[in-house]
Amino acid sequence: MNPILAATAALAAFVASTACVRAEAAPVAATAPAQAQLTAQLTIAFTGIATPTGAILLSVYDSEATFDGGGKPVRTAMVPATGTSVETALAGLPAGRYAIKAFHDIDGDMKMAVNPFGMPTEPFAFSNDAVGNRGPAKWAAAAFTVTAGANRHSIAIR
Amino acid sequence: MTQPLDRRAILVGGLAAAAAGLISAPATAGAAASGPAPADWMLGVADVFDDIARRQLRPIHGKVPAGLRGTLYRNGPARFRRAGTANGHWFDGDGLVRAWHIGDSETRLAARFVDTPKRRLESRLGKMVMPGFGTPGGEGAAIASNDDTNAANTSVIKAGNDLLALWEAGSPVAMDPDTLATRGFRTFKPDLAHMPFLAHPRIEPDGRIWNLGLNGGSAVVWRLSASGDFEAAQIVPLPRASYLHDFTATARHLVIVLQPWIQDKFTLPFVDSLSWRPDLGTQVLVIGKADLTKRRIYELPTFSFFHLGDAWEERDGTIRFDGCFESDPAFGQRAARELIAGRFEAGPMPILNMVALHPDGKASLTSSGIAAEFPRSDPRLAGLPRTQTVHVGGYSGTRPFAQSVGRWDWKTGKEDAFHFGANHLVEEFVPAADRHDSRRTWLIGSTVNLIARATELHVFDASHIAQGPVCTWRADVALPVSFHGTFIAGWRGS
Repeated sequence: MNPILAATAALAAFVASTACVRAEAAPVAATAPAQAQLTAQLTIAFTGIATPTGAILLSVYDSEATFDGGGKPVRTAMVPATGTSVETALAGLPAGRYAIKAFHDIDGDMKMAVNPFGMPTEPFAFSNDAVGNRGPAKWAAAAFTVTAGANRHSIAIR
Repeated sequence: MTQPLDRRAILVGGLAAAAAGLISAPATAGAAASGPAPADWMLGVADVFDDIARRQLRPIHGKVPAGLRGTLYRNGPARFRRAGTANGHWFDGDGLVRAWHIGDSETRLAARFVDTPKRRLESRLGKMVMPGFGTPGGEGAAIASNDDTNAANTSVIKAGNDLLALWEAGSPVAMDPDTLATRGFRTFKPDLAHMPFLAHPRIEPDGRIWNLGLNGGSAVVWRLSASGDFEAAQIVPLPRASYLHDFTATARHLVIVLQPWIQDKFTLPFVDSLSWRPDLGTQVLVIGKADLTKRRIYELPTFSFFHLGDAWEERDGTIRFDGCFESDPAFGQRAARELIAGRFEAGPMPILNMVALHPDGKASLTSSGIAAEFPRSDPRLAGLPRTQTVHVGGYSGTRPFAQSVGRWDWKTGKEDAFHFGANHLVEEFVPAADRHDSRRTWLIGSTVNLIARATELHVFDASHIAQGPVCTWRADVALPVSFHGTFIAGWRGS
């Protein structure tokens, strides 16, 4: 297997883990009720949507271990891709460091589509618009800070 | 792609500036500051800094045949180095598509780089970072798909209203045949995005396009219409994970030569993931075009290769095809890396051979005995019996690149060739039918003239090559040695 092709295929498995939204997320379930110690709201905007069908599926992580290691996200969400840019708001997050992986589920099958050689064929992105080098972007490049109160983070999905 | 194109080196303006400023042979590569001057052939792997605006060619010799009008599109790597960083291999430079147009009133040249994500990123960073065939890649590489590393540098065909700049481990890149502007990656079907597509499609005389894309031990078989529209794609398993740059085809079969240069590791650069296993011999897999599950495997003695000629099938089922075979893959493994650093590494010569796959399951090799590369034949005969192979050759053994163009006749065992001499780097020549006299064929191709420090376009009468070019033009610029191209008869061109 061509190493470049293989590395790209590895991306698919990684980003596909985002599809754990499948079971948990009704479109608005992402907005959890605020609790006393959860003080931040995070609005995530997705821009550059080329095909306004299906939905953006995203997972939010709060640690390097879970983001880089394929662990469990702290939040997942599904945002209908109704235009060239869409956004969603997550409430009740503790202030801290977060990173996001997302893909555009154009065909609505809740899975990252891949070509016959396993390479992703649906657009995907990471927070900070981080791009991996022969693999998924790492926490070090994708993590950003969420502070108490309102926060906004924009991701170009391509 | 989200990054705006950063072409920092905009045309300096003026033809003199173009000749003087756009091209540079790296003065330091391969030689210490106090050491010997760089070899003259380094002009063949020099960097071009920006697109080459349309310019007329100066006639040097002869008169253009009345029956030859059209555009020769060629592709090849033309940017290897940025600010102290370099591609690690000749095969990894940025693709520059050149259009040589022969019109009624003028002959002209224009060339543009394929505007790939690789080129955009490296232009923005001011350094070479992307991995490739023989380049490990470096800090700053951003790779979301294999097409982010696509150099689009190996060949160019015209399909429908697009030129397709071809690489081999990713998508074709569509370009405007008139302006050479990049239109973007060609995705034949959304679920086949980024699938590899070799730079050597086999094109039937009616225009239908067959191609392969390789990924280790499996291949995708592409079938496109003459206008480049998707018809079919199917995955076929291969008996071994051979490196494969080219395949061939008869009217009814695909012929896939599997050299014992086999991917058995997972490492970058790609070439280092391949092991040379001469003990295994070379295999040929033949697959039915009508039914890709119908297959037969033939065994041949060990050889390595890059290029094959068109194949054909005889009444008794014998399949024949030519190819340029080497005793080992040292060129791709090492010598083509050394070129970029300005060093010549002598290696095994590519020898023109004819393969026969017999109905009894046996296979045989017949050597022409001549050193040759870039085998071509009349596209009207693709998949049909023929007796001749057009090629370049005249390798000196002491410096890189071909020095001659020739035509080997398999029936007479005779060679008709013209030697340009050591002052020319000879690129691929392609046959072009005369538009008035279908029995007449011209050969058209280019050389880098190391004395004039300029690229030249030459036309030969394919039946009288030894007599020398019937006409020659010279550009006011030297472009590095290109790989492959296509002549589009009658096309007004760029």
